[in-house]
Amino acid sequence: MGVPAPGAQVGRVIELALEVPLASFVLRVQATLGSGFTAVMGPSGSGKTSLLEAIAGLRPKARGRIVVGGEVLLDTDRGRRVPPERRHVGYVPQDAGLFPHLTARGNVAFAARAGRERMATAIDMLELRDLFERYPVSLSGGERQRVALARALASEPSVLLLDEPLAALDVGLRERILPYLMRIRDEWRVPVLYVTHNVGEALALAGEALLLREGRVEAVGPPLDLLSSQGVVRAAETGIENLAQGRVVSHDDAGGVTRVELGTDFAVSIPLALGRAIGTVVTLAIRAEDIVVATEPPHALSARNVFEARIAALERTGVDTTLRCAVGPGGRPWLVRLTPAAVAAMGLAEGRVVWLAVKSHSVRLV
Amino acid sequence: MPTAEEWGIVFLTIRIAALATVLLLPVGVAAGVVLARYRGPGKSVAETVLSLPLVLPPTAVGILLLRALSRQSAVGGWLAVRGIEVVFTWKAVLLATMTMAFPLLVRSARTAFEEVDPRLVGIARTLGCGHLRAFFRVTLPLAWRGVVAGTVLAFSRALGEFGATVMVAGNIPGKTQTLALAIFHDTQTGHEDRAMVLVGVTVALAFAALWTTEWVSRRRARRSVV
Repeated sequence: MGVPAPGAQVGRVIELALEVPLASFVLRVQATLGSGFTAVMGPSGSGKTSLLEAIAGLRPKARGRIVVGGEVLLDTDRGRRVPPERRHVGYVPQDAGLFPHLTARGNVAFAARAGRERMATAIDMLELRDLFERYPVSLSGGERQRVALARALASEPSVLLLDEPLAALDVGLRERILPYLMRIRDEWRVPVLYVTHNVGEALALAGEALLLREGRVEAVGPPLDLLSSQGVVRAAETGIENLAQGRVVSHDDAGGVTRVELGTDFAVSIPLALGRAIGTVVTLAIRAEDIVVATEPPHALSARNVFEARIAALERTGVDTTLRCAVGPGGRPWLVRLTPAAVAAMGLAEGRVVWLAVKSHSVRLV
Repeated sequence: MPTAEEWGIVFLTIRIAALATVLLLPVGVAAGVVLARYRGPGKSVAETVLSLPLVLPPTAVGILLLRALSRQSAVGGWLAVRGIEVVFTWKAVLLATMTMAFPLLVRSARTAFEEVDPRLVGIARTLGCGHLRAFFRVTLPLAWRGVVAGTVLAFSRALGEFGATVMVAGNIPGKTQTLALAIFHDTQTGHEDRAMVLVGVTVALAFAALWTTEWVSRRRARRSVV
């Protein structure tokens, strides 16, 4: 229980106070998710799928309380346990979980409570008409995911639980399905829990991120904040990422670079990205180990991005040392990962002014 | 061509085998589901008892059935009080064939149900299906091939049952004499030609049964990988 986040729509709030015994640990989740679209992140085996299954009612050993949009689905203290068929949950497992003995049409129409109108909308939105008579065995990974999504949507769910719906797909397919998910978020007024390992997806879709680690909630909050803070990103299995939002200011065809302004007098060069129009807001990611540190202003360096920074903190993280560096006016500190040997050899310490160099190709658009 | 008497034997055999299969099907499917899903004490004991007729000599099973049906036993006494005659009637043939065919159906059904991904059943539940509905719309259709194969196997076993049948039902022409018994009887009494006609009929029946299974499983296989 708790107070919904500001701006939350009451009908879309998910309250969790759960304990689910798993093989190697007990999953404990205490959170109130009010943004409508929550990215569930964390390393493999941290309990993400089990959390979705518990909400769907497929974990008979789950104890505690689950409330979705005011509806109490589980309250073991009061002896309430709504069976899965009455939870109105749209669950899409990682492998889509289509019924192999039914066609795409049969799968979408499977839901006992499928509303005709909802079904038609889902089918049109996910462009399924051409796949209708095919069996799952003859569908590609992306097609299966679309059918599974439509099946979940057609069942008139009060909450959508999506388990890495894009993980099995190649980049091209991801980019084709992402817009569907955005439409679901914006057009179907149901809360969504979305398991992903992908920082880009979380940033693009979610208003909130829930980070799990070994069955515990490590953090809950806006994805950009969470995924840029250090301890948390270790959990997201993507390596430490520096994330920053900026605006595209120019394309240099001949030079092969696009400039992205992160703040006043502070711009970064990235590989030419003509697909992003000038003025578009984009999110950039730089891996902490891709940043080079110099103790003097570097000359004759190929890296297009060199910034003066001040070391705000050093922390031993596993075998590496992570520096927090204040770059530019205000803004979030950048994380830089070095070997302790490099830190010692260069005499790096808190308060020291350094220069950070980043190749254009080490800056990714997410 | 078989004579009218031989046709009588054929029809009696088919009737009993078919009835045995129909009666076994719901019980066998239920037992298959329970064995596939249940994980608790007593499971291996139940499995062993159910499979006993497969490994015991059929005549031994026949004697056990005979004992169970004798007036001194609880079951036999209960039946006798109500005037129900089983031993040396067609009911004894039915009982013997059912006993011998049951494990084949259960084993096939059990394997088929074990191969159904329980997660698919869970998804069916989230889509609004209660236990029973999920079983008939997902579990059973996915296990269908194994159930059909088990049914055909059970039917074939019922057609050819000899040892247990001869112990509890005897070999009474026109009453309890099935194909297998008649073939044995004819050979023993020097009517080998007549026996060969009956052998021809059994071969034809066996072919029909096996082709049906093949046809059913091919038709399903084209649609799905299960």
